[in-house]
Amino acid sequence: MGLTAAVPINPTQAVTRALVVRAQNGDAEAFGELVEDHYDLIHRTAWKWCGNRADAEDIAQDVCVKLGQAIAGFDGRSAFSSWVYRITLNAVRDMQRAGKRRGKYADAYAEVTPDDQPAEQEEAATNRQLWAAVRKLPEKQRDAVLLVYAEELSHAAAAEIMGIKEATVSFHVHEARKTLRGLL
Amino acid sequence: MSNDDMQEPFEQLKGARAPDPRAEAKKRALAAGMAAFEAAQKKSSPTTQGTAWGQRLTSIITSWKGKSIMDMRLPIGTAAIALLVLPLGYQLYSTTSMTPADVPVTQEVIVEPPPVDQPVDITLTEEPADKSADAVANTVAGPATTTTTETEAGRDQVVAAPEPLPKEEMAPDLDDGLMDAEVARQEAPVVGGVVAPQQVQSMAPAGAVMAESEAYVAAPAPMPSILALPTEPTGDEFTSFDEQRLKAVADEPVSTFSIDVDTASYSYVRRQLEDGYVPEPDAVRIEELINYFPYAYPAADSAAVPFKPSMAVYPTPWNPKTQLLHIGIKGYVPDAGEDKPSNLVFLIDTSGSMDEPDKLPLLKRAFALLVDQLSANDTVSIVVYAGSAGVVLEPTVATEKARILGALDQLAAGGSTAGAEGIELAYRLAEQGKVTGGTNRVILATDGDFNVGIDNPEDLEDFIKAKRDSGTTLSVMGFGRGNLDDATMQALAQNGNGNASYISNFREAQKVLVEEMGGTLDMIAKDVKIQVEFNPAMVSEYRLIGYETRALNREDFNNDAVDAGDIGAGHTVTAIYEITPAGSGAELIDPLRYGETTEAPAAGGELAFLKMRYKLPESDVSQLIEQPVTTDLVYGDIGAISDDMRFAAAVAAFGQKLKDSNYGSAMGWDEIADLARSGKGEDESGYRAEFIRLIKDASLLRPDTDVDTSRPEPACIMGTTGECAPQQ
Repeated sequence: MGLTAAVPINPTQAVTRALVVRAQNGDAEAFGELVEDHYDLIHRTAWKWCGNRADAEDIAQDVCVKLGQAIAGFDGRSAFSSWVYRITLNAVRDMQRAGKRRGKYADAYAEVTPDDQPAEQEEAATNRQLWAAVRKLPEKQRDAVLLVYAEELSHAAAAEIMGIKEATVSFHVHEARKTLRGLL
Repeated sequence: MSNDDMQEPFEQLKGARAPDPRAEAKKRALAAGMAAFEAAQKKSSPTTQGTAWGQRLTSIITSWKGKSIMDMRLPIGTAAIALLVLPLGYQLYSTTSMTPADVPVTQEVIVEPPPVDQPVDITLTEEPADKSADAVANTVAGPATTTTTETEAGRDQVVAAPEPLPKEEMAPDLDDGLMDAEVARQEAPVVGGVVAPQQVQSMAPAGAVMAESEAYVAAPAPMPSILALPTEPTGDEFTSFDEQRLKAVADEPVSTFSIDVDTASYSYVRRQLEDGYVPEPDAVRIEELINYFPYAYPAADSAAVPFKPSMAVYPTPWNPKTQLLHIGIKGYVPDAGEDKPSNLVFLIDTSGSMDEPDKLPLLKRAFALLVDQLSANDTVSIVVYAGSAGVVLEPTVATEKARILGALDQLAAGGSTAGAEGIELAYRLAEQGKVTGGTNRVILATDGDFNVGIDNPEDLEDFIKAKRDSGTTLSVMGFGRGNLDDATMQALAQNGNGNASYISNFREAQKVLVEEMGGTLDMIAKDVKIQVEFNPAMVSEYRLIGYETRALNREDFNNDAVDAGDIGAGHTVTAIYEITPAGSGAELIDPLRYGETTEAPAAGGELAFLKMRYKLPESDVSQLIEQPVTTDLVYGDIGAISDDMRFAAAVAAFGQKLKDSNYGSAMGWDEIADLARSGKGEDESGYRAEFIRLIKDASLLRPDTDVDTSRPEPACIMGTTGECAPQQ
């Protein structure tokens, strides 16, 4: 599955950039196109991070809203897709933190969702355990691992998204490996 | 997981495929994104250069930087703005809010709870002051709204000092009062400690305690009418009002008010009590409680003079020294043969919050009942707003029941988007199907979301008023609980010349939409105002029970431009005054020392003079009905009057006690129940039996004896003599 993050960026980069500029100038159509183009990326990322459809859809919608609110403030220093990744990861984090606060309700739902959707998750099924373990990692480690391995981005790209140094990404991946050694 | 994999376990994460997003979720997300984008565009249209508002530019003059003295301008500026804005804000609020502007802002007699061992009291009376003075007084009294303990409420009473002093000894008394307030403040926690265990004993601890604390704060300190109570047990909103105060005939011989045929308050109160809560005092509008019940007053003979008053004067059940003046009106009932055409437009709220069994589903069944009542010359259309917006049913002849009910059935609650121009659409349909000589009415059904398309409440009222003048009226039906905006409901229905009702259950729906259909739809007189002038030779003091939100100025009575309540076919309206006969010694207001001593010309045998003004539905010129209240109408024994009147008196007593009124709450629940039972009559529909049951509920939630001893006397109106006038 080579069709991951790197691909939408390169060939369409110029188009994306033009759309961003138009959207920043208030062109709703351009914004619509932009979000349409990136929705799959957002949804896919959210799904990988959460592992269920309901959360992924909620997060994707939140991200769309945030994009609409914040696109005027996008400064173009990083690639647009990196920026989208960052917003998505933040949304995932916000949601999971809120979920923890929500306490019993979140737990009640959590009991339902994994059983509801076992087949949907990773057809390969053998590595479900691995996915579950990775999702339970501390946030930074999880983000680094998933960006580098699941999204198959370079360490540099992951570093840009996470807003940290490249070496730090490697460090988080290494830490994650250590953490998981006990679990797997 | 084998050990070989441990080298790079994460390699397995590669190639995982997330399922494709669902198209509808995507569509929704994109729409939400677009909405946010457009909202953001609107907000931040031109990004200007330089410092945006709120950023840290500390001064436009750089040389001021670092001079700390200049930083004073922030607090000084804030203080200056606060000084300007707060009174102005209050003024704007009080003159432009939904609260009817003609309610006299009356600060009642304020009495400090007497400490147990030091029975000294202060009396602070406030005449209705002019508006600016009021604004100031209310600003001073402001903290009372945020207090949660009675101690602070007590302190505030002293702060809200009176303007006119009733007597010259007032000043020393006030000083004493300040000291006493201080003593009371220190003692109060102890009193509170005594209260607590009693509350625990009561049948429904949570409800009772909540009501207790609320009543405790609310009772002694009359709140400025615009401010909400400190504890709100529900999310429902009510217009806040001060109770009608006792007036001396010598000062204000004339009492003027608009009639009110709404009954929403009773349904709401009943529901709260049945669920084990004591309703907020502002939710209890006594006149609506009284008018909920049908009374068999003699009806008028013709549509030309559509009603006639029935009056009686009888002893007050809660105060042996005073009397009640009972004014009952029954609207003319047209012959069953007359079938006026009606053109009804249902404007239905389908917001997400309506998705509860007691809201949209109940509404559907209720409207199905109404449709059953309609005939071939009636038309029905349905417009929905919020969630889904638009015309659900074009004007349809009411006999096509299947089609109407089908359209009703398809309504579903969901979503929260404002359905733009729902109300305009409804009125457009109403005008499209307009009938002459009949009823053109929009019936708004909601649980409190009034995002009907016109956001500004005043614009909405103006819109409704304008449509009313062109012949389309508006009724409002409230559903559910927790979101109910009673204040807006009342305001809209009053402006729309319609009724506001609260549909709590199917039975209530049946009462409003089937039994009182005629009254709801067929208006026989509009802008009905009542003015009573008391004869100072016979009556020294009077107090109108209820109608706080309906009070009118004396000069409004003859002014046909002033809007007032409307009466439908067969409606009964009851107003009760508590009057103190002159010379009975039960007066609570001391006569003026320097007042005029000239005896008023005594019109022989007349207690008061009743005037009523009304307009026929098609007319803009008011008619006058006059009738003296003569001594022939006085009954010495409450047993001698009709069941209806006795029952109405019981309802009034119930309402006063429930809202912890300053007057008449000394009557026990048992006595009220006995009185109500004695006036139960035939009670074919069972409403009165239900009311008697409700008294029982209330007595359990707020038991008589315990509470009364642990709380200061609810009403202690006294002069400067230092003793409290007995209530009973």
